[in-house]
Amino acid sequence: MNLSQATATAPSAPADPHPRAGQSLSGAEIVVQVLADEGCRVLFGYSGGAILPVYDAVFRHNAQRRGADGREPMPLIVPANEQGAGFMAAGYARATGAVGVAIVTSGPGATNLVTPIRDAMADSIPLVAICGQVPTAMLGSDAFQEAPVAGIMGACAKHVFLVTEPAQLEATLRSAFEIARSGRPGPVVIDIPKNVQNASLVFDGACRLPLPGYRSRLRALEHSHLDEATCAELFRALMQARRPLIYAGGGVIAGAAAPALAAFVEAFGIPVTTTLMGLGGFDTTHPLALHLLGMHGTAHANYAVEDCDFLLALGARFDDRVAGVPEQFAPRARYLAQIDIDPAEIGKVKRVHWHHAGPLAPALERLTAHGRAHALRPQLADWHAHIAALKRAHGLDWDRASALIQPQAVIEAINRITRGEAIISTGVGQHQMWAAQYFDFRRPRHWLTSGSMGTMGFGLPAAIGAQFARPDALVIDIDGDGSIRMNLGELETVTTYDLPIKVVVLNNVGDGMVRQWQRLFFGSRFAATDKNLHKKDFVRAAQADGFAWARRLERKDELEATIAAFLAHPGPAFLEVMVDPDAGVYPMVGPGASYAQMITGPFIASRAARPPAEADVPATAMF
Amino acid sequence: MKHTLSILLQNESGALLRVAGLFAARHVNIDALTVAVTHDPGVSQLTLVLHGDAGVLEQILRQLRKLVDVLDASSLSLVGSGERSRLVAGSA
Repeated sequence: MNLSQATATAPSAPADPHPRAGQSLSGAEIVVQVLADEGCRVLFGYSGGAILPVYDAVFRHNAQRRGADGREPMPLIVPANEQGAGFMAAGYARATGAVGVAIVTSGPGATNLVTPIRDAMADSIPLVAICGQVPTAMLGSDAFQEAPVAGIMGACAKHVFLVTEPAQLEATLRSAFEIARSGRPGPVVIDIPKNVQNASLVFDGACRLPLPGYRSRLRALEHSHLDEATCAELFRALMQARRPLIYAGGGVIAGAAAPALAAFVEAFGIPVTTTLMGLGGFDTTHPLALHLLGMHGTAHANYAVEDCDFLLALGARFDDRVAGVPEQFAPRARYLAQIDIDPAEIGKVKRVHWHHAGPLAPALERLTAHGRAHALRPQLADWHAHIAALKRAHGLDWDRASALIQPQAVIEAINRITRGEAIISTGVGQHQMWAAQYFDFRRPRHWLTSGSMGTMGFGLPAAIGAQFARPDALVIDIDGDGSIRMNLGELETVTTYDLPIKVVVLNNVGDGMVRQWQRLFFGSRFAATDKNLHKKDFVRAAQADGFAWARRLERKDELEATIAAFLAHPGPAFLEVMVDPDAGVYPMVGPGASYAQMITGPFIASRAARPPAEADVPATAMF
Repeated sequence: MKHTLSILLQNESGALLRVAGLFAARHVNIDALTVAVTHDPGVSQLTLVLHGDAGVLEQILRQLRKLVDVLDASSLSLVGSGERSRLVAGSA
């Protein structure tokens, strides 16, 4: 994690002055110089009147610094819609951990960015969004393409700046990056009036805003080390536990703590289940990995949560898709422990007996060192045998005998070739859950999904951003027919930049996840979720957008060969798979239900399920 | 239960909106609010009254401390008696 960078804040007099320090630059030129200094390798954005000076400065920056191969140092990638730019920046950030940057114009440009900004906030993704704004003299006059961006974005982002004072621009830009990447990462929006972009300024090269409150709290968090007594307290409880379990979330990835987690598990043998955001934080092919937990978690993971007597939450926040009924979550756990970078998450949903607020990786390293130094090794042979038995008895499965193509079979066929090495992005819905369940995740930042916000349309632009971040990686967008429609315009962006992205549409002719809920809780009345009357020919749409490889797969016996050809194609490729429209996502912990009441469906063995209790709240009221 | 909070806020564009917006987003009502200047023109002192249980108070304080403009946020009712905190709120 880039926490150390965040603390190295020198408002002035750096040891090594910036080569351009003291130069006279326009506000727009300062924007571009700070972006370059912060290590931006690609920008995503759509132009417009109020951001023209910055776009011109980007153009000049790239024209003057073109490499021998003709490459621009900081290309500006143009989406079909600003929402696409935001999700591209997020895909870039998710695939690398670096700050993603989107640059848009005022008014509709900025409001189209609201969804990706909120999405990044909800999943703790570091972004910097730069919005043009009408000149300061026009602010509040209902000017053309004026929107109250500071107010709108302030409710969605980690922080928002409206730069009304040109002299503050440079410090604000640098501080925006610091805020985005430090502590619990998040999106920062900078609203820059056009006259500020055009102002004549003197470049400093190092200045930052003082941010006294934020910095002092951040410093305290970063320096809060686990002391011996606190480590000993956790190990006392762990050594008494017979069934300890780790519940690992997105913080493992954001905090670059996957190696520290692997070492901790190696040292103490505690099994790991991961949240949707935590996938890749621990190798799902490891014998002690239980894969996904929660509403659509694996049955073995959820049963292990039911059975554990000690639960250690790492960068995870007991959200409602994991702990739908907090008081019944991990009901046999006599000891709950939590480590998180965000003090507000400690005990927010469930009271814990032990906690540490601070960076995850050093905390885990400290605990591992403590346990090793005191030769503490819990005796967990029975628990390991129990876990292995759960995995054998309650593994994922589906309707293998069906004549129709099952969506799970598609994911498994892709996974047999990619083996956890591809970068996978998704839309939101059933296909997202099948991808989460049936892919192997071997390392961080290979799984890009809109977890908390659940934004349909995320997958395609996120894949584009990820491909720019990792030009040599195999990037696959697993999408649904509903989700991909949301940002279908970005198909053209894939071919414009000749990105070798593989787009898979699992077409079940409608909004499958909503239909699943309607089937279960609304008497199979499929209000507005059936797309049988829709006329879209996805293959021809992809061809029209320039995909040379675009096919529809309808026959089960052609599945393996088609997928092999699809993944082998060197350029952009589009595959629509007509899947069983009635396939469901199982297991499912229904809304308001406990893990003991999990429905495993017709193809996964269930442990004698406790009958659903009479819920206080009807399922139709749940979300 | 009523709680009185004292918040020191950097006087930035939109800062008060972000504080008020946090309460709205977290579904906590602001019963009373006064804003006063301090000896530092860049810093405002907010005195804010809300009602809720101890969990609501703790969570809103922690969320307030995540706002970049917030220099400090504390509950006056934690340091004084209920009577005293009402006096502080009333005199602010």
